[in-house]
Amino acid sequence: MKRLTVDELNLEGQPGAFAGTLMNSSADLVTRVCQGDSEAFRLVFERYSRPVISFIFDMVNDRGLAEELTQETFVRAYRAMRTMRKDTKLSTWLFGIARNVARESIRARVRANSHVHLADKSVMDLSDDKPVPVDGLLSKELNDLIRRSLAALDEDKRLVFTLKVLHQCSYEEIAAITGFSIAKLKTDLHRARAEMRRRISPYAGVGYEV
Amino acid sequence: MKSEDNLKLLEDYLEGDLDAEEELFARYDREIEISPAVWAGIEKRIVPIAQTSYPWMRIAAVILLAIGLGSVYLASRKENTTSTPNESDQTFARFTIPTPEKETRIKPNKRRIIPVPKRDNPGVLSSDLAYLDLDDQDTANHLEQTQNLLRSIRNVTVSDGDEEIDVTYDKALSQRLLNENVVLRRDAEMKAKFPTKTLLADLEPLLIDIANLPDHARPEDVRAIKERVNKTEIVAALIEYRDRGTNNR
Repeated sequence: MKRLTVDELNLEGQPGAFAGTLMNSSADLVTRVCQGDSEAFRLVFERYSRPVISFIFDMVNDRGLAEELTQETFVRAYRAMRTMRKDTKLSTWLFGIARNVARESIRARVRANSHVHLADKSVMDLSDDKPVPVDGLLSKELNDLIRRSLAALDEDKRLVFTLKVLHQCSYEEIAAITGFSIAKLKTDLHRARAEMRRRISPYAGVGYEV
Repeated sequence: MKSEDNLKLLEDYLEGDLDAEEELFARYDREIEISPAVWAGIEKRIVPIAQTSYPWMRIAAVILLAIGLGSVYLASRKENTTSTPNESDQTFARFTIPTPEKETRIKPNKRRIIPVPKRDNPGVLSSDLAYLDLDDQDTANHLEQTQNLLRSIRNVTVSDGDEEIDVTYDKALSQRLLNENVVLRRDAEMKAKFPTKTLLADLEPLLIDIANLPDHARPEDVRAIKERVNKTEIVAALIEYRDRGTNNR
């Protein structure tokens, strides 16, 4: 199954997202936002809010916080849109801001010594009242396992794994977002993949050797 | 609930099949919905750029320009006609708006000395004129030193034959700059100077990496930092920040 790219992903299932968006390239939207067109910024939000909030959620593993940080990301993006270089892809630029916002939040949490532990009941109970998944989606148990496994990766590995595997970004895009060298990205991705497989393997009832 | 389909996919994934990995994570559901409150919150916090601030800024700029030109014109007329104030000058003096020009205005019967305008030194990160308060000057000095450090790291010649590179000075400087950076970044955040804060936040990982190098670093470690300095174009960002001057804040 071919996955949708970041730009396509957000259009699917977004009420009203198709209205006007297909006629507006990202560059046009940026120009309009810089001219003070707040409607154009709403279209930017509709187009990119889903991938951005998903990415932030993958980084912070907290739904309420992900919403707050998404809000902060778009506010910062709006204020800084005039400084965006013309050759930069809007999605890459937004992910860069989202990454900074998420990183600041993670560091603030670590500093405040209020890091969310995987064993926290609040984390484990996050989606208890959700309906049983339909065909095509993973079981709730496996979903939770993936979420917990992602959260257990260290920050750099989680960042690279999320962007590459969950958001299908290219190495060049990830390097632009993170500022890491390609060699570091590949190393981190390799280690993150191995760690994810090791953590997920018990679900299938098999052992996994790294 | 473990469906056969999921299990097969999982087994393929665990065997290292990248297509299976792609499909498995495509099915991963974060169960996130974007509530309308998110956009409502954003809408409250943003102010349309062109429709509000810029027209005001343009009007203010035109008024300031008119006042400046008027002052210069009247001052030069006053000098050319007579050395004592005449009626029209007295009228002007009663209604003129105080400007910095006023301090340099000469008294009657004395020759006017036209001050040479102070110019920015292009080789310096910021001029004193550009940074009006102490915090800004601290930040400018900090960014200048950081820029010099990053340039020196970027310009290090690393060859494969090198066994180790002496970075004792750069390391010590980076440790000092890192401490400063943290303080200035928090300060910028408190004062809502977001471009400054973002720039300082971007500098921090690089300063941490340099500060954590051993005194005699391996060439590959130095090369990795050099590549990151180049890749992130952080020096260009520092120069751009400097060029934007007080508009940032």
